[in-house]
Amino acid sequence: MRQTVSASPHITSNNSTRKIMIDVLIALVPCVVCAVVFYGYHVIINLVTCLIFCFVTELLYSLIKSKNLSKEGVKSSSVTDLSFAVTAVILALNLPSVMTVSAWNVTAYNAKGAVAFSFDTVVLCALGSIVAIALVKMLFGGIGKNFANPACTGRIFLFIAFGGAGAFATVSSLFESAATTGATWLGTRDAVTGDMLLDMFLGNTGTAAVGETCVIAILCGYVYLSARKVIDWRYPLMTVGSVMLFSMLFDVVPSGHKGLAFFYDMLAHVLSGGVMFGAVFMATDYSTSPNTFWGNVVFAVGVGLITALIRAFGSFPEGFSFALLIMNLTVPLIDKYIIPKPFGYVKPEKKKKDKKPKKEKIGQTAAKEAGNE
Amino acid sequence: MKKFTFKKGIRVPHNKTTSGSPLVECPAPATVYIPLAQHIGKPAVCCVSVGDKVKAGAVIGRADGFVSANVFSSVSGTVKSVERRKTPNGACAHVAIENDGKYECESLPKLEKFDKESLLERIAAAGIVGMGGAGFPASVKYAPKKPVDTFILNAAECEPYITCDHRLLLEQTESVLEGASYLATTLGLDSFKIGIEDNKLDAVERINAAIAEKGVRAEIVLLKSRYPQGAEKQLIYAVTRRKVPRGGLPADVGVAVGNVHTAYAVFDAAVNGTPLYRRAMTVAGAVARPSNIWVRTGSKLSDCLEFCGGASADCVKTLAGGPMMGTALDHTDYSVTKTTGALLLLDRKHVETSQPHACINCGKCARVCPMNLMPMYIDAYTLAENYGEAKRYGALDCIECGCCAFTCPAKRTLVQSVKVAKRKIKELGL
Repeated sequence: MRQTVSASPHITSNNSTRKIMIDVLIALVPCVVCAVVFYGYHVIINLVTCLIFCFVTELLYSLIKSKNLSKEGVKSSSVTDLSFAVTAVILALNLPSVMTVSAWNVTAYNAKGAVAFSFDTVVLCALGSIVAIALVKMLFGGIGKNFANPACTGRIFLFIAFGGAGAFATVSSLFESAATTGATWLGTRDAVTGDMLLDMFLGNTGTAAVGETCVIAILCGYVYLSARKVIDWRYPLMTVGSVMLFSMLFDVVPSGHKGLAFFYDMLAHVLSGGVMFGAVFMATDYSTSPNTFWGNVVFAVGVGLITALIRAFGSFPEGFSFALLIMNLTVPLIDKYIIPKPFGYVKPEKKKKDKKPKKEKIGQTAAKEAGNE
Repeated sequence: MKKFTFKKGIRVPHNKTTSGSPLVECPAPATVYIPLAQHIGKPAVCCVSVGDKVKAGAVIGRADGFVSANVFSSVSGTVKSVERRKTPNGACAHVAIENDGKYECESLPKLEKFDKESLLERIAAAGIVGMGGAGFPASVKYAPKKPVDTFILNAAECEPYITCDHRLLLEQTESVLEGASYLATTLGLDSFKIGIEDNKLDAVERINAAIAEKGVRAEIVLLKSRYPQGAEKQLIYAVTRRKVPRGGLPADVGVAVGNVHTAYAVFDAAVNGTPLYRRAMTVAGAVARPSNIWVRTGSKLSDCLEFCGGASADCVKTLAGGPMMGTALDHTDYSVTKTTGALLLLDRKHVETSQPHACINCGKCARVCPMNLMPMYIDAYTLAENYGEAKRYGALDCIECGCCAFTCPAKRTLVQSVKVAKRKIKELGL
């Protein structure tokens, strides 16, 4: 009998990349259901479009790269790990239900004058998927090697490229007709009331992206992912907390609100826009977030800071996805300098006379910061 | 009882199916091949010549230098040859002895005094090494250069499948405790601690009874069943909350650790005068009769396997040692040594044979690493042949416990990379 020889360990857990991706997809189900409830069948069309185009792009890319067009080539390609589906679902949930480009406007209207089917939306979803998978993920080496969150980048691409053409202008919830991006709290900055907060929490309000609607659904996903240990439960809390803190500093304090209004404003900052959805599903993306606890603290602080800056002083009402994209780029740097202290680490005794080069000092303080984890 | 543990680590399936089967004597084959290198350090020097008659317990290899250990004949018979044979990690000289089947014994003289010096002398004379797997000569280990205030008997046995220490504790409770107190004596201590995982509560009961009955000055520290609880640094942290410094020895924090089987061997050598030529071993996995056996060193692994009914047809991996840190063998034609604690046969269902996928950067390896390293970067930099950077991420601190590779969803061979990195760092002198 031939025996296999390999390095230890010889047993592994029954965990796999595909199982992790399936867990994320399960966690996304409540958000998808809520999006469909609030925005109707358009969400399903977008979702299917994104899924198809993400799948085809990734499959084609890997087939062309491996030059193996047989059945085995398909089986060994990276589509089998289902990460394309996670990207597709997150991307679809990050877009408005209907995106019409005023220049083309291939849209069918129903008798009531509402949009029945928008071909523009399908084209934009397809474009976003191709950018997300081909440009951001596969060109940089596939899963685990992408420098930025594919779904986030796909959304930002569409937002910047077609935002001017009116694609991100209309968001009509089934319950609150004619709500627009401008009509979200971040655009109007109306005085916050308790009822408004409750509406934001339940999803009964206009949002720029369909997945951000219902906070309850997002929390369900968060609890599931934390319980399955797919994500560390602390990280989304850190991100949300940091957004809260910095929007308080830059926005709420200057606004001069006192007492309950002060508190309501802070909550409104967290509940509106993509903060909750992004903190749970996008900022925890494996390849684009740091691998250490203290690295994630730095990451969360950065995301919160930039989000608050864009919201307070920027030209866009919402800045979470931009903040995320910018912080994604710092991740390699964070992981280079914030290394946990190995077990039994002894601080080297400081020599008094010879000066240490500056580079080493940075490494040391970083190691010190990472000490508790 | 409060349970202690170290930080991080993983939960592994125990699969300790043989914990109920008592130790049985495995008959020695017609010819035993006894390796002269059964320990860390210099191989012993052969001191018999072809044609010599030897008894079981006769010295056939003398310790060569300070870090070395005596090697004894495990059977009585005639020396047939001294030849170089393969071992799982290389090759060394083996003494082949034809077994006459009489098992005549030769023992060391009765020990008069049980004080520090005479015990240490006996440990050296009986060729005792650390029997948990490393095989470091005990005479060196128990004469540390720094003062030690705690001796821990390592009864964690955290590797899946292996049960030989557990059986020893159940069957030879008093002998093991006595051996451990001798080890404590060599360190100048009058009491010791026993670190044991909570999946061996029957052994805990036995030990408590023996402590009460014999008045042994020992204290049980119950540990959570978590891998790698029995790794030296982790055990010391779990029991004493002391951290062995990077690149340091347990003696640096005033601790010494001894394995259950080592303690038993010390008892056997001190009280019965029997040198170390046989050991308890677990044969488990895909075999007809998984069991715990007493086996004489120099027997072939295939003899043990035959005694246990042979391997099943679908066995794909043969391991010397446990599934987390054991060595995969290409065949079973190797000799049993003082440190062979288990022979494990795994079928396709129980072993990982799939190819590694791309790292998804999930960070699970860093989250479970008991040494607090970042295995994903060590792996990546080793594959990129940037060993300096691999060292910066802690390649040299790795204890190769395998938690990272166990937990990796992409099934990456992280430990293999670390092993390569360690060797290359040494080679290149980084």
